[in-house]
Amino acid sequence: MQSQMKESDPILKIENLFASTDNLTILKGVSLTVYPGEIHAIMGRNGCGKSTLSKIIAGHPSYNITNGDIKFSGENINSLEPEERSQSGIFLGFQYPIEIPGVSNLEFLRVSTNARRKYLKKEELDTFDFEELVKEKLELVKMDHAFLSRSVNQGFSGGEKKRNEILQMALLEPKIAILDETDSGLDIDALRIVASGIKKISNAQTGIILITHYQRLLDEIEPDYVHVMADGQIIKTGGSDLALELEKKGYEWTDNFVKET
Amino acid sequence: MEIIEKIKTNKLTDKQTEIQKICLHKLQSSPLPNPKSELWRLSNKSKFSNFLNYSVNEKHPKSDIPFPENSQNTIRLIIGETCQIKLIKENYSIQQLSENELNKYIKEQIACFDQNENWSDLLNLSLSSTKNFVGLKINGSKIPPIEIFSHASTNSFNAKTLIIFLEKNCDIELLQVNLGKENSSLSQSTFFLLKENSSVNHGVVSYGENRSNLLNSLNVIQQNNSEYNLGALHFKFNYARFEISIKQSAGNAKTNIKGMQLTKKDEQISTYTKIDFNGPNGFLDQINKSLADDKSHAIFEGSIIVPKIAQKTDASQLSRNLLLSNLAQIDTKPQLEIIADDVKCKHGATISQLNEEELFYMRTRGITLPEASKLQLSSYFKEIISFIPVTKDRWDLLDKLLNAN
Amino acid sequence: MGVSLVKVYKANCNGLFLENMVNENLVKDVVKEPYKYGFVTDIETEKISKGLNEDIVRLISQKKEEPKYLLDFRLKAFKKWQKMDEPDWAGLGYKQIDYQDIIYYSAPKQKEKISSLDEVDPKLLETFDKLGIPLTEQKKLTNVAVDAVFDSVSIATTFREELAKHGVIFCSISEAVKNHSDLIEKYLGTVVPASDNYFAALNSAVFSDGSFVYIPKGVTCPMDLSSYFRINSGDTGQFERTLIIAEESSSVSYLEGCTAPMFDTNTLHAAVVELIALDDASIKYSTVQNWYAGDEEGVGGIFNFVTKRGKCLGKRSKISWSQVETGSSITWKYPSCLLLGEESVGEFYSVALTNNLQQADTGTKMIHIGPKTKSTIVSKGISAGNSINSYRGLVKMGRKAAGSRNYSQCDSMLIGDQASANTFPYIKSQQPNSEIEHEASTCRISEDQLFYLQSRGIEFEEAVSMMVSGFCRDVFNQLPMEFASEADKLLALKLEGSVG
Repeated sequence: MQSQMKESDPILKIENLFASTDNLTILKGVSLTVYPGEIHAIMGRNGCGKSTLSKIIAGHPSYNITNGDIKFSGENINSLEPEERSQSGIFLGFQYPIEIPGVSNLEFLRVSTNARRKYLKKEELDTFDFEELVKEKLELVKMDHAFLSRSVNQGFSGGEKKRNEILQMALLEPKIAILDETDSGLDIDALRIVASGIKKISNAQTGIILITHYQRLLDEIEPDYVHVMADGQIIKTGGSDLALELEKKGYEWTDNFVKET
Repeated sequence: MEIIEKIKTNKLTDKQTEIQKICLHKLQSSPLPNPKSELWRLSNKSKFSNFLNYSVNEKHPKSDIPFPENSQNTIRLIIGETCQIKLIKENYSIQQLSENELNKYIKEQIACFDQNENWSDLLNLSLSSTKNFVGLKINGSKIPPIEIFSHASTNSFNAKTLIIFLEKNCDIELLQVNLGKENSSLSQSTFFLLKENSSVNHGVVSYGENRSNLLNSLNVIQQNNSEYNLGALHFKFNYARFEISIKQSAGNAKTNIKGMQLTKKDEQISTYTKIDFNGPNGFLDQINKSLADDKSHAIFEGSIIVPKIAQKTDASQLSRNLLLSNLAQIDTKPQLEIIADDVKCKHGATISQLNEEELFYMRTRGITLPEASKLQLSSYFKEIISFIPVTKDRWDLLDKLLNAN
Repeated sequence: MGVSLVKVYKANCNGLFLENMVNENLVKDVVKEPYKYGFVTDIETEKISKGLNEDIVRLISQKKEEPKYLLDFRLKAFKKWQKMDEPDWAGLGYKQIDYQDIIYYSAPKQKEKISSLDEVDPKLLETFDKLGIPLTEQKKLTNVAVDAVFDSVSIATTFREELAKHGVIFCSISEAVKNHSDLIEKYLGTVVPASDNYFAALNSAVFSDGSFVYIPKGVTCPMDLSSYFRINSGDTGQFERTLIIAEESSSVSYLEGCTAPMFDTNTLHAAVVELIALDDASIKYSTVQNWYAGDEEGVGGIFNFVTKRGKCLGKRSKISWSQVETGSSITWKYPSCLLLGEESVGEFYSVALTNNLQQADTGTKMIHIGPKTKSTIVSKGISAGNSINSYRGLVKMGRKAAGSRNYSQCDSMLIGDQASANTFPYIKSQQPNSEIEHEASTCRISEDQLFYLQSRGIEFEEAVSMMVSGFCRDVFNQLPMEFASEADKLLALKLEGSVG
C-alpha cells in the first residue's frame, strides 16, 4: 500500500530506523512514510516502542539513532535539535504533558508561536496581537481564557493538559503532528473536543500520526493507514479495518504475526 | 589578615565606643572563628583571609545607588551618609534610638553571644564606628516602604550596623540593599526586634562587583504574635556569607523565609540559618535556593531548634539546589533538633540540574535551549524575588540575575 | 490491618493532631521493658590482664598464632591509634572511657582444638539455646548457618560442610587467617583502613574474632548466614571484625544479632565490618542489635562504636544494609557504601529505637564515585523517655558520578516530651548530572489515631505497638523473613509494659 505512487513528496520518511537508550535497543528497524493529507495510526501494546518512536522523531536527547534515517520534507533531520524540528513544522503531542511550575502558559505559548513564525519568516507577535490569536484558537479546544494565566500544565486535569497540547498544535500549525496517546485519560466529551480540534487544524497539506491503544479515537478520526507495532518493529500495516479487527481480537491476535516484509 | 593583626594589637581607632571596646576585648582572646566548626568548615580559607585583608575605611564613598527613587512615598536611608533621622508624621514616627536604648540592647545581645556562632557580629561591632551605626525605632501605622542601603568602598573594609525596633502593632515593608564594590569587604550586621503584634516584610538584596566580599549577619528577635517575612538574594560576590539567626522569644510567632544565592566563576556564597523556637505554637516556612555555575561553590546550612517548651511548633525547611556545571559544587545541610513531641517538623533537600523533560518539552515547541533554560531559571528565581518587598525594582533585578556573569 | 495502619500513619504526618485524649504517662509506661537477655553465663574464662600497650597487641596476635603481616597490621594500627583523639563531634555525652581498664582478650576455657560441637562446653551451648540460637545438630535453626561468638572468640559455626559443597567459606576470622590467609591479606583493611577513625584503629590493633564469609564466583549462597555476638564478661571489650567478600555474580544474605548481660559498668564494643562486592555481586547485611542498654537511670550498658562499610567495587554490584537498633547505652554507627563500580547500588534501611537515657547517633554515608550509581536511604528513629536519637548521614556525588541518584527519607517519631530527635543530613554534589533528594519529617503517635484503634477494641499498648510497627514498615519489609518477625517482636517488647 505504501509503495503506491503519490503525486506529492512525502512529509515524513522513516527508513529502517534503529534506536537505543542506555544501551537498550528499542526500535529495531522501523520504516514509515507519511504523505500530505494522510492520517496514520500506530497501535501496539505498552512497551512496543510507539512512544519512543514519537520522541525520536521530536529529537529527545536520551535516545540514540544507531541506524537508519528520518527524513522530513526530504531532509535528513537526525542531527537537528528538538527546537529546530519544531520550528520547521514537526509537532509532538505528549502522552504526559510536562508541568513547568512558574512559567506562565501564555508566555510559553507566545514564545513558542513566535519561534515558529520566525522560521516561517512571518512577523512575530507582540503580547497584544498574540492575545487575539490565542483567543481564536482557544475556541477550537473550548478552553477558558483563565488557563493562560496559569503555569504551564501545572495543576491541569488530564483533559485540560491534552487540550492544551491541541491548542499548541493549533498555534504552531505544524506540517506533521504526532499525537502520542492524546486520547488516554479523556472522557467522551473531552475526546470529542480534542478530535474535532485535530480535524479542524489538519488539512490536505498536513500529515498526522495518531499513537493509540484504542479504537475510540479512531472512531472520531478515521485513519488512512493503521500500523501495528511490536518489539520495536511495525509488524502489520492495513487500512482502518485493521484497527477494528484488532479491537475485536485483542493484541494476542498480533502475537502470531510474522513481520511483513 | 590586616584586620586581625590590628585587632590583636588594638591598633584600630583611638575613639572607641563602649560597644567597640567590649567586642574588641572578646575578639582579642580568640580573634578567628574555629575553622573546624560546622559554621566555618566549608568556608574557603584563602577567600576568607582575603576578606580580612583590607584596611578599615572611615570615609564614606560617593553614593551611586543603582535603584531609582521609587516615589515620594518611599523613605530612603544610606548608612554612613544619613545622619539625623527624625520623621514624625501624623500616623507614624521613625526616630533614632537613644544611646542608652542602643547600648542596653546591644549589650544584652552580646551577653548571649557565642564566640564562634556570633563571630561575624563581634567583628562588625568591633569595627563599626558611631557614624556607621544606625539605630531606629519605628512606630505607628501606614508607614511608607523603607529602603536602607549599605555600601562598601573600593580597596577597603567597611563595617555597618543597623538596629531596628519595630514597636507593637506596627507593620512595615523594608528593603535592605548591600552593595559590594570592586576589591572591597563589607561587614553588615542587622539586629531586628519585632515587638508584639508587629509585622515586617523584609527584603535583603546583596550584590557585588568583581572581587567583592560580604559578611552579612542578621539577628531577629520575634515577640508574641509577630510576623517576620524575609526575602533574600545574594549574588556576584567573590566571597559572601549570609548568617541568619531568628529567635521566636516566646513562640506564637510566624516566620517565612525565602532566600536565594547565585554563584558563578569561582565565587563562594553561603547561607547559614538558625531558627530557635523558644515557646509554643511557632510557625516557620523556609525555602532556600542555590544555583551554582562555572567553578563556584554554594552552601546552605539550616538548623531548626525545637526545645521542649516549643510544643505545637510547625516548621518546614526546604533546600533546593541547581548545579549547572561540572566544576561547581553545592553543599547543603538542613537539620532538625527536636525535643518537644507535639510538633510538626519537616525538611527536604534536592540537588539537581535543570529539569531535562521540561527543557525537552519547551524545545519541542520551538523554544531554543538557551531560551528554555532562561525561562526555567526565571521561574526558579521568581518565587524568591516576588517575595522581596518594594515591588518596582523586582523585574529589573530578575534581568540582572539572569544576565549576571 | 497493616495497610490501614500505614494509611493512618500518613494521615498523622500530614498533621492531624487533636487534643490530648490519653494520659501522657501511659505512653511512658508502655515503653518500659525489662531486658530479657541480661543473664550471665558462669563459665571459666581465660583472660589476659587489663590494659593496652604494644605487648598486649603482640600477646593477642601470639595467642591466635597469627602470621607476621597481621601482627604488623595490628602494630601499625596501634601506633596510629595512640596518635589519634577520641572523636567528640557526634555530640554524644558520655563518661570518658579508660582504655587501660579494659580487658582486650577473654575466651571461655575449653580444649585446645575442638573437632565437633559435642566438645563445646555444654554451658555455652545452653547459653545460646537460651538466646534462641540453638547450635546443636538436633536443634539448630534450619535455613540459617550460624557463627556464634562468645566474648572474644567464635564458639561454633553450623552448616559448614553443607556450605563448603557450594564453595562458600563461612568461618571465624581466626580460622580464616589460618586457612585462607591469601584472602585475608588481600582484603583486610581495604574498606576500612586502620587509620579511618579512632575506634576502627583500636579494633584493627586488638580485634579478637569475628566472621569471615567468601562467596565464590557465580554462587548464590544457599542459605542465610548469621553471626551471633554475645558479650559475657563485664570488664571485657568486644572487638570483633567481619569480612565478607562476594565474587562476581554471587550473592549472600548475612544476619547479625547481639546481646549482653546486665552489668552496671559500661562495656565497649568497637567492631569493624568490611564488605566487598565485585561485578554483579550482591550482599545484604542485616543487623538486629539488642545489646544491654543500661537501666532506667542510664547506669551500665554497652558503648556500641562500630564502623561498617561496604565497597561496591564491581559494576552493577549491590550492598544493602538493614538494621534494627534497639539496644546499647550509646550507639555510634554509620553503615556506609562506597559506590565505585558503574551502576552499583547502595541501600540503607534503619530503625533505631531509644528509650530512657539511651543515645543513638546513626545513619549512613553514600559516596557516589562511579557513574550511574544509585542509593536509597530510609531511616526511622523512635525516641522515648529521655533518650536522644539522631540521624546523621552523608550523601556525596563525586565529579565522575554522572547519572547517579540518591533518595533519602528520614522520619522521626517522638514518644513523650523529654525525648529528642535530630536529623543531620550532609549533602554534597559536584556532579550536575546527578540527583539528590532528601526528605525528613517528625511526628508523634497522634492521639486521635490511638483513639480510633482503641475504639475498635484494640488495647492501648497494642495500639501503640501497632503504630510504631506501621511507622517502621518500610524498613521491616527489607529484613529477611526470620528477622522481620523478630524485629517486630523486639520493638513490641521494648514498648510493652505494665499499663494500668
